[in-house]
Amino acid sequence: MARITAGVGSSHVPLLGVAHDLGKDKDDYFGPIFAGYEWTREWEKAEKPDVVLLVYNDHASAFDMKIIPTFAIGCGERYKPADEGWGPRKVPDVIGHPDLAWHIAQSLILDEFDMTIINEMDVDHGLTVPLSMMFGAVDAWPCKVIPLAVNVVTYPPPSGNRCWALGEAIARAVASFPEDLNVQIWGTGGMSHQLQGPRAGLINREWDNMFLDGLIGESDRLRHVPHIEYLRETGSEGIEMVMWLIMRGALGTATRALHRHYHVPCSNTAIGHIVLEPAG
Amino acid sequence: MMTGPKDIHSYLAEFEDIPGTRVFTAARARQGYHLNQFAMSLMAPENRARWTADEKAYLEEWPLTDDQKAAVLARDYNRLLDLGGNIYFLSKVFSTDGLSFVQAVSTMTGVSVEDYQAMMNAGGRSPKGLRSKKEGR
Repeated sequence: MARITAGVGSSHVPLLGVAHDLGKDKDDYFGPIFAGYEWTREWEKAEKPDVVLLVYNDHASAFDMKIIPTFAIGCGERYKPADEGWGPRKVPDVIGHPDLAWHIAQSLILDEFDMTIINEMDVDHGLTVPLSMMFGAVDAWPCKVIPLAVNVVTYPPPSGNRCWALGEAIARAVASFPEDLNVQIWGTGGMSHQLQGPRAGLINREWDNMFLDGLIGESDRLRHVPHIEYLRETGSEGIEMVMWLIMRGALGTATRALHRHYHVPCSNTAIGHIVLEPAG
Repeated sequence: MMTGPKDIHSYLAEFEDIPGTRVFTAARARQGYHLNQFAMSLMAPENRARWTADEKAYLEEWPLTDDQKAAVLARDYNRLLDLGGNIYFLSKVFSTDGLSFVQAVSTMTGVSVEDYQAMMNAGGRSPKGLRSKKEGR
């Protein structure tokens, strides 16, 4: 049977993709950021996941204002890197796992999560930056990827509680897939950042680390954090952190932290990264 | 088991209490629909070329208000947020201008890009005093 073996949380700042693609990842500015991912790159080489279920948000790339799905799952065969206004990143195409993706989509709908199904789309930095951070420069991504896109742009996004519950439902769906697959779930975005208005540049190191703490162990207090708290404490774009709760919810009642990294700044943003395994 | 208010009116009212922030609500999404769709169109290289060649003519193809058009031409991003723009859509405009997020975002803060960058390198803007207008915390 398929099983979720680990969860990874990571920021997905577009500038990380630029730094990676231009080979700046060891300079004074980016070196300390990328250093925090070296452990994870070695760990991923040993873990060899078959599939990564990658929770992210689209940043006005595949979805414009015409259609705004709250939860959308990619069931396609492959996805190309999006042209976000400066040409597509020169990274490999993302190869899907339609069998598992459709199994999860069907299971979630029966489990009362009314998913949007995507068969064709381009994927932006929200998805390709985490792949670069975890796998480095490669000719082909070492695993299949199932994109799971969450609306965190137009309010209201889903509640933290709903995200956590979706993660729990994803875990049930994966566990009922008959093929023996090593599946990881990644939650991306955040941490504190605000990209707009006079309050732009807000960073809350204390709150971010409280959030990282809350992902570890048996506590489920993070599922009850309301949107207004993310907005006040972590800036208008800090709301992306609800996506990490899908990852956390999928890991079951308790987790153990294998690796953790936090750095300020990257562009306008606080970088957070954590690797978790189920401990329940 | 729900987090935060279930009533949409009180949910939205809280957003107005955050200093220096425009939350992208449904009201803003409606007001800025064509503005954001215009910005989105700049993802296509051929549109970027036409836009760069004649910005005013390109804008005439979109049903924007005069205020929205003027704010786009002036690259007044705070004004564009007030008129329904969303930063991820507006990023297509400043990316076409060759500006980074830090460069564009700094223009909304009242300080120079150098000062903004220095603030970020020193740990970013503290949330102290910027969480709530009412409570001043």
